[in-house]
Amino acid sequence: MSIILGSINLTRFSVEGPLPDHYMEEFPGRIARHAFRKLREDSTEERAVGWVNIMEMLDSEFGGKEFFKDPYIAMSWRVDERKVPGKALKLHLREAELEIKRAENVQYLSKARLQEIKERVRLQLLRRTIPNSSVYDMVWHLPLGVVIFGSVSSRLCDEFAEFFFKTFDLRLHSIFPYSLAHKCLEDDGVGTDLLDDLYPLSFQTEKW
Amino acid sequence: MVLLERLRQSEFLGRDFLVWLWFKSETNGGEFDLGELGRIELRFGRKIKLQAEGDRATETITCAGHAPHMKEARFALTVDKKVTEAEITLTIGKDLWSFVLDAKWMNFKSLKTPKVVQDKNDDPDGLFYEKIFLVEKAISVVDALYFSYVKLRLSPQWGNEERPQLIRWIREGR
Repeated sequence: MSIILGSINLTRFSVEGPLPDHYMEEFPGRIARHAFRKLREDSTEERAVGWVNIMEMLDSEFGGKEFFKDPYIAMSWRVDERKVPGKALKLHLREAELEIKRAENVQYLSKARLQEIKERVRLQLLRRTIPNSSVYDMVWHLPLGVVIFGSVSSRLCDEFAEFFFKTFDLRLHSIFPYSLAHKCLEDDGVGTDLLDDLYPLSFQTEKW
Repeated sequence: MVLLERLRQSEFLGRDFLVWLWFKSETNGGEFDLGELGRIELRFGRKIKLQAEGDRATETITCAGHAPHMKEARFALTVDKKVTEAEITLTIGKDLWSFVLDAKWMNFKSLKTPKVVQDKNDDPDGLFYEKIFLVEKAISVVDALYFSYVKLRLSPQWGNEERPQLIRWIREGR
């Protein structure tokens, strides 16, 4: 809910292509299929992502189509992640290794065996790890075909664009200075190839 | 051209825009007439991030503070450092926005809008519309300024008037 409350980090995307003809009927089903589902307790699932209500991150039902806020679709993208703390993993791993060495009366364990123990310990601890939840808002201006996403992390933006595509079957393109300039000239009916003649400014004294 | 290639080749557009914006904000009292969007006041804040361009290892410097027009940052421009991020305050009437504008993607970081009037419990939708209106307002202003810059750079006025004035301003900062 950061777009609504507090300070905001934001990245803009343009949506490729037109909206489907019957998007009002089509989108609720698509959103429901990609709504957020919690990580199951006592499972080894590491990550869960999906849509939640922009005004309430605990609501992923959208019973009243709360995401339609004419002319926008507004939702939050929730990401829950479970990660075993490195120090805890190290400690439990040492403990498990010692136990096995003692039980089998050996001094050394093979690399493959160590790897297998590590994965087993990691999964055991994962079941006991509480997930960390983050939400990133997204506001899609339907007539303009512009999406505001509440993060500036390249990794998250890429993942979000992929998830958006999975949900709506529509590609997102990053907006950046060149694409903005291109649009500005296009709207004015000026040739966009003029942009390719521009060069970086240099203020180095010897070039004055 | 694939996106990353286009992005790399045109990265200078955002960086040069921030230098121009900084120059204009200091030489015209920070006032801009944006036609339909009205008159706005835009000031560079206390932090500017610059980076060396080219094949050398990336070298970043951050200038902070409000010493006379950030002389160190202006000096850095003369040794081929480029502005990559700038803290900006925007005033329209009595309303104030602050944000960090990023040159590469034209992203907004730490955007703070004027305080919203609507209450979350009384009218959650009203809160949403008010807040998104304020966010979009800041975006529209930055886009309008950027469009002015692009048109100016493509016009003869750039070489004849604007660029010499910009260079003079940078020289004065040394």
